[in-house]
Amino acid sequence: MSEITIEKVSFYHGKGTPYELKALDDVSLRIHSGIITGIIGHTGSGKSTLVELFNGILKPEEGRVILDGEDIWAKPKEIRKVRFKVGLVMQYPESQLFEETIRQDISFGPKNMGLSQEEIEERVLEAASFVGLDEALLSKSPFDLSGGQKRRVAIAGVIAMRPDVLILDEPAAGLDPSGREAIFSNIVDYKNKTGSTVVIVSHSMEDMAKYCDRIVVMSGGRVFMDGSRDEVFEDTERLRSAGLDIPQITSLMLLLREKGIDVDGGIYTIEGAMSRLLPLLENRSKGDIQ
Amino acid sequence: MKNIALGQYYPAKSPIHRLDPRIKVILAILYIVCATFLGKNMISFGLLLLSAFLLILLGRIPMKTVLRGIMPVLFVMAFAALFQIFGKSGEILLFEWKFIHIYLEGILAAVFMVVRIFALIVGTTIFLTYTTTPIELTDAIEDLLSPLKKLKVPVHDFAMMMTLALRFIPTLVEETDKIMTAQKARGADFTTGSIIERAKALIPVLIPLIVSAIRHAVELAVAMECRCYHGDGVRTRMTVRHLRVTDFVVLLLMIGFGASLVWFNILGIGFSL
Repeated sequence: MSEITIEKVSFYHGKGTPYELKALDDVSLRIHSGIITGIIGHTGSGKSTLVELFNGILKPEEGRVILDGEDIWAKPKEIRKVRFKVGLVMQYPESQLFEETIRQDISFGPKNMGLSQEEIEERVLEAASFVGLDEALLSKSPFDLSGGQKRRVAIAGVIAMRPDVLILDEPAAGLDPSGREAIFSNIVDYKNKTGSTVVIVSHSMEDMAKYCDRIVVMSGGRVFMDGSRDEVFEDTERLRSAGLDIPQITSLMLLLREKGIDVDGGIYTIEGAMSRLLPLLENRSKGDIQ
Repeated sequence: MKNIALGQYYPAKSPIHRLDPRIKVILAILYIVCATFLGKNMISFGLLLLSAFLLILLGRIPMKTVLRGIMPVLFVMAFAALFQIFGKSGEILLFEWKFIHIYLEGILAAVFMVVRIFALIVGTTIFLTYTTTPIELTDAIEDLLSPLKKLKVPVHDFAMMMTLALRFIPTLVEETDKIMTAQKARGADFTTGSIIERAKALIPVLIPLIVSAIRHAVELAVAMECRCYHGDGVRTRMTVRHLRVTDFVVLLLMIGFGASLVWFNILGIGFSL
């Protein structure tokens, strides 16, 4: 169970050049342990920069990044240890595949950790099963796989390090609906089985509402909203002012409520909407008969 | 990775930025000729040094940026200077110790060499990279070489290839950055270990990079074919450039500069080698 806290962090891209850009502006944030936190925001809102600070890929120019009570930059030479503890799956992670076989590619991380051969093999199998990769596939080349499967291999490559905190930047970007569903249910599965802390970056409101416990909204390099899922989605006006929107099914529910039908706003999934609406419909048809 | 100064374009509004890129290519060539062949004595080298600083000022490029661009060549400059100091013999002996003889001529030659390299770098980068975007540059080269089309040289194809290559440098740099980050997140270590270990550590970066470069090339080829791109035939430009009076005036000034260097060399005043 690990917890990340960010204190008054600012970060610039291309500092000192004419292209200087302030990506993060005095951001303070706490990532609670053992739950899934979603980070949403528009392109250029600083989401990806933020997650690269979590595992010490980027070093904050101002402020501190604290992992389990310790500043991760206290010992810059041991920053790799932080990276083993905080696993980061980048956007389109399939572009990082390079080995001859899938097995070798997944074991790249564990190998860098200096684990024994047996331990590595065990972790590869475990990671592969987490992302639903068949064991028979492991001796194939990663370049022969479909896009969705490559994505799984890449995610397995990070999971194999057994990170306490798993961060995924747009894990489902460019996948078809069933691929999205599968990836997210693998992630939830991983969290439940290992008790890890999970951070998901996305701009799909539907996915966020469905899988995240807490939501952080970024806008213009600052934390715009930070709270539980219900708290964030309740404030529709504020979300819209950041150029974001609530899930479609939630806005449908809100419209129904405006029309005088007794439903509440906290419904974010089609399943949830179904279980709320079907009884209403049944009651109504019964009422018609009487 | 972000700060590789492959002579990056420096966005600013300056007299040099406004010049026609074709003229700038010619100016750069003339300036290279001046710096390489027309420095003979103290006055002509003094003028070269002065002109280099004048170009930096006129191009409105901060001194810091220019110096950062020179950093990688500093070693070459130092080596060339030392070579001149210790290697050149002359008449006025300044220092003697065992087999080491240092002559005034050697020291002067070293100073001249440093000024020459400085002027060469400043001249080419100010005209060609800091104030001219890569696209303007390739367009200019295509225009200047267009007479060769009569000799059936595929000038347009070469220019297109160059444009594309330049266009993809930032993309590939960005890609390299991304892949390196991804591998770092998996614990790859690029900064410690022996040279062999570090070279090996690059394999996880190079393979994905090559794969993605090939993918980019294929995608680009398909996109170009879809828009019926055809290299030969008459192509028109979206923006047609016209030479202005100032362009010719500047060209004349540069020729005048070269002529004055020649004049001072002939006069032979100042310490000449």
